[in-house]
Amino acid sequence: MIKSLLLIAALTFSFAANAQNYYVYVTAESEDEVALIKFDGKNATIEETIQVGIWPAEIEGPHGINISPDGKYWYLSLAHGNPYGTLYKYSTETNEVVNTVKLGLFPASLQISKATGLLYCVNFDLHGDMLPSTVSVVDPEEMIEIDRIETGVMPHGSRISSDGMFHYSVGMMSGELFEISTTKLKVTRKLSLDGMEEDGAAMGGMDHSKMGHGMMTEAAPMYHSEVKPTWAMPHPTNGKVYVAGNGTDEVLEVDLEKWEITNRFKTGKAPYNCDVSPDGRYLVVTYKGSGETGIWDLESNSELPRVKNTRKVAHGVSISSDSKYAFISVEGIGGEPGTLDVIDIQKAEKVASVDMGKQAGGIIFWKME
Amino acid sequence: MKKFLIFAFLLLLSVGFLQAQDLSIEVSSKDVSMNIGQTMQLGAAVVDASGKKVADREFIFYSTNSRALTVVDSTGMATAVKHGEYDVIVISPGDPQLRSNIKVTVAPAAISKVEIAPLPEHVYAGVTVPLEIKVTDKAGFERPEKVVKLTSSDERKVGIAPFDKLIAKEKGKVMITASVDGVEQKLEVDVLENPIAEIHLKSDMVEGRSGDVFTLTAVALDKHGNEIADAPINFSFTGESFDVSAAPSGLITQEGKFVADEPGLYVLNATCGPAAASVTIQANNRNITRQIDLIGQGSVNDKHTSDLWVWEGVDGRDYAVTGTWGSDGSAYFWDVTDPAGIELIDSVKVDARTVNDVKVSEDGKVAVISREGASNRKNGLVIVDVSNPRDAKIISEFSENLTGGVHNVFIYQNHVYALSAGRKYYSINIEDPANPKIVGEFELDTPGHAIHDVWVEDGIAYSSNWSDGVQLVDVGNGIAGGTPANPVQFASYAYPSGSNHAAFPYRDKKTGKFYVILGDEEFPYGLDPDGRKPGRAAGFLHVIDFTDLKNPKEVAWFKVPLAGSHNFWIEDDILYAAFYNGGVRVVDISGELLGDLNRQGREIAWIVPADPDGYVSNAPFTWGAQPHKGHIFYSDWNSGLWSAKLQPVIPENSKIEEAK
Repeated sequence: MIKSLLLIAALTFSFAANAQNYYVYVTAESEDEVALIKFDGKNATIEETIQVGIWPAEIEGPHGINISPDGKYWYLSLAHGNPYGTLYKYSTETNEVVNTVKLGLFPASLQISKATGLLYCVNFDLHGDMLPSTVSVVDPEEMIEIDRIETGVMPHGSRISSDGMFHYSVGMMSGELFEISTTKLKVTRKLSLDGMEEDGAAMGGMDHSKMGHGMMTEAAPMYHSEVKPTWAMPHPTNGKVYVAGNGTDEVLEVDLEKWEITNRFKTGKAPYNCDVSPDGRYLVVTYKGSGETGIWDLESNSELPRVKNTRKVAHGVSISSDSKYAFISVEGIGGEPGTLDVIDIQKAEKVASVDMGKQAGGIIFWKME
Repeated sequence: MKKFLIFAFLLLLSVGFLQAQDLSIEVSSKDVSMNIGQTMQLGAAVVDASGKKVADREFIFYSTNSRALTVVDSTGMATAVKHGEYDVIVISPGDPQLRSNIKVTVAPAAISKVEIAPLPEHVYAGVTVPLEIKVTDKAGFERPEKVVKLTSSDERKVGIAPFDKLIAKEKGKVMITASVDGVEQKLEVDVLENPIAEIHLKSDMVEGRSGDVFTLTAVALDKHGNEIADAPINFSFTGESFDVSAAPSGLITQEGKFVADEPGLYVLNATCGPAAASVTIQANNRNITRQIDLIGQGSVNDKHTSDLWVWEGVDGRDYAVTGTWGSDGSAYFWDVTDPAGIELIDSVKVDARTVNDVKVSEDGKVAVISREGASNRKNGLVIVDVSNPRDAKIISEFSENLTGGVHNVFIYQNHVYALSAGRKYYSINIEDPANPKIVGEFELDTPGHAIHDVWVEDGIAYSSNWSDGVQLVDVGNGIAGGTPANPVQFASYAYPSGSNHAAFPYRDKKTGKFYVILGDEEFPYGLDPDGRKPGRAAGFLHVIDFTDLKNPKEVAWFKVPLAGSHNFWIEDDILYAAFYNGGVRVVDISGELLGDLNRQGREIAWIVPADPDGYVSNAPFTWGAQPHKGHIFYSDWNSGLWSAKLQPVIPENSKIEEAK
């Protein structure tokens, strides 16, 4: 009996050790496509291109993407609608639509909590008036929106703690970090990343009623966060959340116990998205402004040599489950294709890339096999 | 020792797994019954295999229909709002995450009242009278599913017909009772002796064409020759088609307007009780089809083409500008003076993936192109000097309040009307095109409002707002005191499909009618699976009679089988409509409009651009059409800019032959 168990365990480890294929889904925001890309350790190739949306003559803007914890489904937010965006549920087996649900204005990053099984999606409202927006809470089994939780202005860059209990997102224009209890469906804490007081100038504390629709420049000055945070990534074990400070070229380290900024990493230009390797060792950050990717060793808090991306406008990052590779989506400009870059994290080297549809954006690692 | 540790580890994992699998949610009741207005605590607990409650588990409750059954936060407190059957999902977060559901049946409230809308003042014998009945329950909900039982106190005088209709048979007073679940409403009907001895019926035309509107005048008279002004006259028709392979068809309204779809002889009837009259009219073949010839093409086959605008340049030559879609932010300028030799003369490229719309000022000096998909996500519009289209120069870029993308624009009297993020439009002063300045804006305040297009003519902006329909806004006409800085909405019309995508005004000089034609945009069949061919569009054009601005009414429509409408233009009583897969349709819209314009033979011509060397070969997807100096120019998503010529009208010599 023991021998049998050991054999099974050995076979399992052996299989894992020999795994060579990595799969990621990447959205092409200006092509209304999602690419399923395979990386075999040397080359990245497009396995399948999935057309998304329903309007051939309108760009619907696939933006946020994520995989269900059991790997059976992928979820996609289509940002544009009339006026509301839509969350789509796809089967990873067939890449066909299973169900949809309407959300708010410009739904963007999303993730399912392994604790609640519910999906949390920020309503970015990227181009709306400077008013607080929300995080939609969806039951992905029924595809019903069950709640909307108000956060900051242009909520974006959301990720959930490894235990599934807390959702972190930032208000890009209000310069705030929000913590939502995934079980209580309430904002439990918020932190001004610009150092504003609770009732200070950040939009969360402003009197929005004095602002006109769109004509705010004349009615009242708009608050534009200096930090302009674009992503929040909780570390799997160290009790920190890393926030991309797109406006100040830094990553902020927020200690969850103290609920304060405890470190600042000076980065390349306009850090945008970030991810922490599952082993907790590395933080990988896309530098949108310089078309580079930064890799930070979180044991020494030092940056490895920066990796130049294939083209301009680096966007998203997702790290493989074995913590070896970072997959980077790169938007490009105008008629250029989008690109997926594969970076060997330890070597800090780009090892493969493949072009795909225009404006590669949302990205999620799916599986190794 | 090592083996033992591994064994112990695996055993621990196994036990943990088994324990996790043994937990479940136990709800206080799987089926719950509630009454409207009642609040109830729904209960749930996590239990192990022995049924013992597990402490410290949290719960999330939610209703699958929160408008009808609210469940407040995580406590499971439910309030019934509306009758019906609903599910409450219960989730216990954690490891393992557990789910269960509770079926809640909310009992309907008792019926409280049955209401019958008032009948006409005079109910004449021999007339059928429809009843409007509303059933309401004690919770205030209408209950249309309830079957209303109607009874008459005297069936000889007033009978009951299916679908809530009364048949007035004889003079006398009768009590009608409507009852539902023991709740009654009584209505006394006083049937008058029908005084109508005869009906005088006239048609304004005896002979016309299919699609022409025949206006009937029916006068009911008593035996003394006095007019009965409130006689409920019913209009109907029968007919005989000239074509043995076609059924006679048409439309007659209860205002006495008739239009024939098929050429033929038609008998138009007016009845009121026993009195009846009829006239016979002849609808000849409309006979307006004309030959249309393809003249030229300016091919664009390396990217999709979007909208077009054709204008006479300041040098007297003719030019066109076309946008591009899902590509590199290019707009192309063409010399179309010779429509057979369309010549690409210049282009501009901006930071965008889509230049969806292009427009040129009335003086032909300035073009505005829209931007979507900018790399820095700051979209907007670009103003281009086209006084010499062979050397088009960007004057300025403008993105204030427009970063969400500008889908459509219009230029009118030194102002650009530009959509912002599909929610509203701004009026932007471009008297100094190097320094555009927002001076006003228009946005609806309806829930979930959206906008797709704006068109300005005679100081009136016609915006197409999807489910909110068309909005007529004074931006300088004076009808409502509006200006570009202070747009004032004064009329609107919405229709049920919610697909309003474009609008174009049209005033018929002969009839004095003021129409606004509204176009749908619909793609109900989804995308082409391989992503190369365009989808198949649906939707059509709705003709709205806005002559009475306070009571606009949909009177006619134009449909093309297996195709859907997009952008269109009207000039000299002719509609030029792009119908995506169906190419360009040229339609006679002269005279009064009523009914199905295509079935009436009002389509003059059609031409479908199919290019084997197109971006997608032989895949017509026509975006817009515009007449210009005797030619029709049209843009196609897969093949660029085209020109066509509508040939002169064929002398009308066939209708008499056909009428015989």
